[in-house]
This record gives sequence, structure tokens and C-alpha cells, in this order.
Amino acid sequence: MTDRRWETRLLAVIAAVLIVLGLAEVYGASSLVTTSGGTVGARLAVRQAAAALVAGILATVVARLDYHVWQRWAWRLLAAVAFLLLIPLLPFTHPIAPTLNGARRWVNLGVMALQPSELAKFAVVVWAATLAAKKGEQIRTFKLGVLPFLVIVAPLAGLIFLEPNLSMAVLVVMLAGIVMFAAGARIGHFLLVGVVALPLLFGAVAAAQYRVARVLTFLNPGAAPEEASWQIKQSLIGLGSGQVFGAGFGQGQQKLGYLPYAYSDFIFSTIGEEFGFLGVLGVVLCFGTFVWIGFRIARGAPDLFGQLLAVGLTSLIGVTAALHIGVSLAVLPATGITLPFLSYGGSSLLVALVATGVLVSIGRARERV
Amino acid sequence: MARPLVRLQAIVGVMLLALLVLLGRAAEVQVVQGHRWAALATAGRTEQVVLPARRGALSDRRGTPIAVTQETYHVGIAPNELKDPAGDALAVARALRVPAPEVRRSLRQRYAYFGGPYGAAAVEPIRALRGVHLEPVLNRFYPAPGLAGAVIGRVDDDGRGASGLERTLDSLVAGVPGAAVVLKDRAGREYVSPARVIAGPLAGNDVVLTLDAELQEIAQRALDEALRRMDADGGDVVMLDPATGELLAVASRRRDGSARPSAFTDTFEPGSVAKIFAAAGLLALHRVLPGERVSGEGGRWKLLDRTIVDEEPLPSLTLADAIRVSSNIALVKFAKRLEPAEQYGMLRDFGFGAPTGVEFPSEATGRLRAPAQWTRPSAASLAIGYELSVTPLQLAAAYGAIANDGVLLQPTLIREIRSPPPGGSVLYRHRPEPVRRAVTPDVARRLRELLHGAAQRGTGEEGTLATFQIAAKTGTARRVVGGRYAPGEYTASFAALFPADHPQLVVVVKIDNPRKGSYFAAHTAAPVTRAMLQQALAARQVALDRARLTDETPVALATPAAAPEEEVGAPAVLPWPLPPDSARAAPSTRRAVPDVTGLPLRDAVRTLHRRGFRVVLKGFGVTHHTWPAAGDSVAAGATVTLFGSRPSP
Repeated sequence: MTDRRWETRLLAVIAAVLIVLGLAEVYGASSLVTTSGGTVGARLAVRQAAAALVAGILATVVARLDYHVWQRWAWRLLAAVAFLLLIPLLPFTHPIAPTLNGARRWVNLGVMALQPSELAKFAVVVWAATLAAKKGEQIRTFKLGVLPFLVIVAPLAGLIFLEPNLSMAVLVVMLAGIVMFAAGARIGHFLLVGVVALPLLFGAVAAAQYRVARVLTFLNPGAAPEEASWQIKQSLIGLGSGQVFGAGFGQGQQKLGYLPYAYSDFIFSTIGEEFGFLGVLGVVLCFGTFVWIGFRIARGAPDLFGQLLAVGLTSLIGVTAALHIGVSLAVLPATGITLPFLSYGGSSLLVALVATGVLVSIGRARERV
Repeated sequence: MARPLVRLQAIVGVMLLALLVLLGRAAEVQVVQGHRWAALATAGRTEQVVLPARRGALSDRRGTPIAVTQETYHVGIAPNELKDPAGDALAVARALRVPAPEVRRSLRQRYAYFGGPYGAAAVEPIRALRGVHLEPVLNRFYPAPGLAGAVIGRVDDDGRGASGLERTLDSLVAGVPGAAVVLKDRAGREYVSPARVIAGPLAGNDVVLTLDAELQEIAQRALDEALRRMDADGGDVVMLDPATGELLAVASRRRDGSARPSAFTDTFEPGSVAKIFAAAGLLALHRVLPGERVSGEGGRWKLLDRTIVDEEPLPSLTLADAIRVSSNIALVKFAKRLEPAEQYGMLRDFGFGAPTGVEFPSEATGRLRAPAQWTRPSAASLAIGYELSVTPLQLAAAYGAIANDGVLLQPTLIREIRSPPPGGSVLYRHRPEPVRRAVTPDVARRLRELLHGAAQRGTGEEGTLATFQIAAKTGTARRVVGGRYAPGEYTASFAALFPADHPQLVVVVKIDNPRKGSYFAAHTAAPVTRAMLQQALAARQVALDRARLTDETPVALATPAAAPEEEVGAPAVLPWPLPPDSARAAPSTRRAVPDVTGLPLRDAVRTLHRRGFRVVLKGFGVTHHTWPAAGDSVAAGATVTLFGSRPSP
């Protein structure tokens, strides 16, 4: 077999490039926001850099581990995440899980605040790959193959939905579905589950969403529907005014309070404004390459678990990025989804880097074969 | 595993396709629609603002600021941004001089606002505090609000000149506001971007006025005191440099303390003070022979329609006697020798009945009727200063013509206009602007002699000074109230040239309706002039040419007939400014500070001025002490601070 180390190396390079670009953009987009809040302008960027350092070390360690470790830890990981997801839902945990922007998505662990739903993406992918690899051909049956997934993933997604974080819940279900699809689950079963569950789910979601929306509007007028459409419009103004070559690094003006979360949920718009279509092309190319290499690694993985894990983690990065970009371009409804590697947020960065580390370890395992 | 591989390819295919679609969408937004979004962005987040221009400063002739524009601040505080709310509140209270509890109360609101405006020095200690937001505003500031307030005028709320010189000079001092584009954030807060200035503001020009702050101060103080002492309705003082037409002091006061610019806007019948202009006509047209006498008629002279009375009858009078004792009978008799057109023409030549052209937004023309409109007594009335209404300014300008060898100059308030500080070049400098020659230099000199006589031995005696000769004329005219002469009400006026031979100063004092004591100008307006001249002489900086005063006083008018023939056209006085104190003029001798303890502050100020000190007042009431203390020896012209028994609040 030919030398395939360039794949894992390119993966690492892409991750590093995106993180550096992300740090610069987080600094540029957040400095004004944090200054008016009364803290040092570089605070968010410094925290992001620290998170990148920690996550980078962690990813390096993970890359050198045998990826089968995750198979053994899959259930425990899922249980831990489920526990973390429960914390914000309990009424007496406000001190460590405060309400931010009308939702309780963060758990403060003292050293750093974790967003359990970000970790859930990773845990679900690992767990689904483990279970699917164990089921083997059984995945093609409904009772023994599909039902177990439903039993576990549905309540987990429910927990995320209750935070509330609908988009992340959908994302988690999608990732589990992709892993199952890759493992060979029957398309008929997907359709069945979809046909049976979706109307029910939709009704429940719509009703819940309505109530949630009302509560959100009451608690935080800024989160009202006009705010969402305002965000989308500002995102388009930012991207559009970047035109082909962009306003130049640091010259974007949408971050002057026009575009909320210009450093996290809308960082793609900030990049588009400052670097133009060329910058957008570069970022999309990076993610495209990442996905392509991820699947090359999956295809060449030594065993089914490795393959499913690689598919799941690649999808984790690719789907998340696509959703984020889609929101920025007003193709999808406005939701708070981060752009892996680039957006501000320790949990997001940690998950993205650890996922990269695991992909590298799968790739390396193949090299050894 | 054949099947999963296909599925793998399907997954990667879908994801890459999704990214490709998104890229296409990005191209649509950025490349195709880009310019439209960019226009929307610019429209939404920039705002054009006006950059206010600094209004030019007005200063007196020596540069003492009278009206200046300063950057002051409104102070806003965002309590949630403060680092140390308790300590910062205290600092704010101290800096803004607001009671601390009030500051703390304000800080409980979402945003505390202190309008002020506060000076740069006041906000300096809190400028750097986080949460303190300074909003600069340009503010018109009058360092001495009372100083010539009515003449200077004020600006309106928009910063444009509303009255007085501020209004006349508005287009000169207003400057041109600039424009800039500022970035604003979503909340409307503006981010100043120096690169986006469209046009910088152009500061207004600075104007140096002809007023002399010290003389103005002396005039105002003397007038106030006179009005109080005489219980008069009001009064005006005009001081003019006859060689240039520059107004050195213009003080106007009403009884109620208000100060409208009545020296420019209010007319009165001058009475005897205008007799000199009838004399001018007689001398200019050679209608009176030297030494020619007319009968005094024993003080009562019956004409067809009225009786003319003299207070101080003489058996027979020359023209000089008539001016000296202010004889109505003699003047009327002499003036009969003038044709109405000649009499009218002479008054017209001295500028009566026409605006002087001073740079003031409102100026009364006064009234001088053309001969065609005269009635039978008009000629006689005009000879003694009735049927004629003038402003104090017109009177001062006309006397200025007598002082200036017969050339009437346009009075002015503006000495110099300078472009704003960085360049600071002089755009305009006042040059004497002759209106016309009213009389020949020789007639002017003889008129001065007549006035000198009146001051020395006649009705103007009370205005004379011990050391210097003045030429002056009094006027005590009946007041017109509501279109008829009010019984028992008079206007006392006094016009003086100082010194008599080469006048450097024209002083016109007018007192409306003095109630207490004598109403005669000799006892009212004349002493006021004397007091002012004494103080002006003592004041160190008043630009009188002391060299000429001291040298020529001893021989002044000793032999008036033999006075050297003056060159035609040459000014009788040296142009100002002259070195205010050359060693010869005011030898810097040291002198003792007089003991003024216990005196009313007003008297103490006068005493000190007479000794040649400058005075700074602190407090109210009677004099408590001075610094330097009484008996201390200090240089002439030094400043003495007077402390009142009650301190300033």
C-alpha cells in the first residue's frame, strides 16, 4: 500500500489553519462587544486560545491512542453526557447552570463552562458506531437493529430539545441516523420511522416550540422572531457587502452590534464580510477537503467500528459546518449552531479537535495494516 | 461490505454537494448581489454629522477676552460600567461639585446625566474613569458678563449671534461647520472615525474690539455710582478716541439695573451741549468778529412767540462768553446771522440726523428736520440744542470731529479681525474712516478754545482736573416724555475733550432725570467725567499718551492766540496705541498703599485708583483689609486686592 500519511497530516493542517483563522476572527469580532461590556477586548480570544491549547494537547493524545478505546467507553461516555444534559434541566442547579439568553445550555465545572449538547454530538457518534458495529447485519432488522437506537437516541434528543436547543437535537438525531445508514440500516426503516414519528414529533415540537417561543419572548425580548429575521438580514448584509475580495481583515463593521454573535453563531458571516467570496471559498474548500479525507479514512478503516466512527465524526464536522453556513446564508432558519474550529466556544472547539484526533488515530491504524 | 461502501459514497456525495450548493449561494449573495448589500450596509450604519465650528473670540483692544468659545462637557455615567461605584460616585461628586447623595441617587438610574456644562478642568479627574462618558459641547462664555454686555450682545440657543456685536459680527466669527461620517452601532452609539471627515470645521475669526476693558470698567462703575447718588432714571457714557473714531468705552445703565445699548439706540435733546455746533457755523462762515458783543438783555429776552431766559445773565457777551456761561440769549442772537440752510448744513456736517455707521445692529438716527419743515422758532431752538435729537454716540462723534481738527470720523467698535489661531493673520485692521470735513482745522481749534474756556471758567468747571486741562461743555435739557416736555425733568449731559489742547479722549456723559440734588449738568454729569478721567489717568494700562500730557500741560493754552499753526490734515493727536508707559511717562516709582480699611469698597476702589493702583475686588461690604497691606510700598500700577468684610459666597 502506498504511503497515506499525507491524509492525516493534511487533516491536522486544515484543523490548525481553521483554528488560527478562527482565533483572529474571534478577537476581531468580539473585542468591541466585550469592551462595551466592561472587560478587556481580548478576553474571548484569550479564552479561545487557551481552549485551543488544551484541546490541541488532548487531540494529540487521542490521535496516538488506539481508537478502540472509544468502543469500551462508549456507554459510559453516553451516560456521562446524559447526566450533564440533565443538570441544566433541574431546578436547583442554577448556580452551575445559569440561564443565558433564555436557555440553559451550559454547565459550569469551575475551570470551564461546558456545553453538554456539544459533547452529546461526539458521544452519540461514538456510541452509535459502537452499537452498529456490534449489531453487524442485525442492523437491517427493525426490532433488534433500529429499535435500540430509537430507545436511546430519542430520550437524549429530548433532553437537548428541552434545554431548549432544537437545532442541536435535530443534529444529534441526524448524526445517529448517518451512522446507522452507513452501517447498512434499511432505507425502508428510515422511511417507516420518519412516517410514523415525524407527524407526532412535529405536533409536539410545534406545540412546545410555540410555548417555548412565548416564554423566550417574555424572558428575553431580543430573542423574539423579529430578532431572528434581523440576525439573518444582518448576516446577509455582512456577507454581501464583503463582495468578492472582502472589506479586509478587521475592517468588517457588522460586528459593531449589528450582527449578534458575530464571533460564534455568525462567524462565517464575519469571515465573508472581511475576506469576501474568496475567503468563503477557502473556508468551504477546507471543510470539503476535511470531509473528503475523513471519508477516505473511513473507507480504508481496518474494521467496521473504525469505519462507522470515521463516518460519524466526519459527518459531525461536515454537517455542523454546513448547517452553520446554511444559516448564515439564509438557506436555513436561524439557529445557534457553531462553525467547527472557527467559532468561539470551548466545547465546540474541544469536540472538533478530539474528533479530528480520533480520525487521525483511525487513519494511523490503517497505515499500520 | 460492498453495500456500505456505496452508502459511504452516497453520504460523502450528499455532503460535498451540500457544500457546493452553499458555495453557489455564497456566490449569489456576495458576487451577484454584493453591491446591493454593501449599499444597504452603508445606509444602515453610517450617519453624517455636523462638526461644530469654534466661534471666534471677542477681546478688548489689549486682548483681554470678552467673549470666548470653550469646549465644555455634559457628563453621562453608565452605572453598570463603573469599576468601583462607591469611590467613583465620590470622585464624580467632587469633580462636578454635586452633593454626593445626589450623585448616588442618580447612579441608581440606568444612566445618570449631568448637564453642566462643565469645564475641561472640572472633568479632568473623571475623564479616565470607566463608565464616564463625556459629551463635548462648544459653549459661549463671557468672562466678565457685566462688561459692556449690551454692546457685546449674546448668542441664541443655536450659538448664532442674537444681539449686539455678536449679531453684527456673526458671519465673521461663526466659522463654517464641518461634516463627517460616523459609524454607529446598532444602539446608535457613534464611533468616531477620523478618516471619514468630509470637511473639517473652520473656526471663526477672532475680533479685537476697540473697547478698553479698563476704561469700560471705570465708565460702568462711575455711571452706576452716579445713577445711585443722583437717583436718576438712567445714563450713558461714551468714550471715543478722536484720532481714530475708536470707541473705548460704551456704558449704558437704566435705573432698574438693566443695560440696553441706549448709547446707540436712545435719542435725547442735547440742549446746551450742542451750542458749540451753532458756534461752529458762525466761526466757519465768519459771521462773528473777534471780540464782537451782543447784549445780555438782563437775562430775559422776549421774542414774538416765547421768552428766552439765561440763568447767569451778563450785561454783554462775546461768542466765547456765550459758550462759557452757556447763554441762550446770546446764542440765539448770534445764530440769527445764519441762514436756515447754513445752520442745518453745519449740524448735518457734524453727523446729526444720520446714523454714524457704527457696527451695531440697531442704531437710532436721531432727528434733524430739513429747513423746509422748520417752524418760526426752529432756528432759535436749534441754536441752543432743541428741536434736535441725538444719540450719545452721535454727540461723541461730533465732539470727536472738533477734537480731530474738524474731520468727522466714523465711530467704530472693531479694531482688528484675525483669522483663527493656527494662522492668526490679521484680516482687517481699522483705519480712521473720515466721513467728511465739518470745519477747517482753524475753526476746530477755535472751537476747542471756546470749550476750554467753558471748562475753565464756565459751567463745565466741575469737570476739570487739577493737573490737566480739559475742553468741555455742559447741557441741561428738558426731557421729552410722551411727546411733550415733562415738568421738572431734565437730561444732564457733558461732553469733554481731554486734554484740551491735543485731545486724546472724547467723553460724553448723559444722565437721565437726576432727582436728587442739582439737576444741572455742571453738578451731575461733569463730576462723573472728572472721576472717570482721574481713574483713567491712574489706571496703568489705559492708552493715554502720558508723555504728551505731562510735557505740555504747563503751557497748555497759556497763550491760546499764539498756538502754533497746525498743519492741515495732520491729526492733532498721535494715533494709538502708543507705548502705555514709557519710562518718561510713568516713572515706576514705588508708593505706599493707602489705608482704606473701613471705607465702603466703592470709595476704597476710587482711592486706590487715584493712587495709581489696579484693583481686584474680593467679597462685599466695607473694606476689611488689602493685600499688599496698608503702608506697604509697592510699584505704581501694581495690583492691590481689596477684601470685603463679607466674603464672596
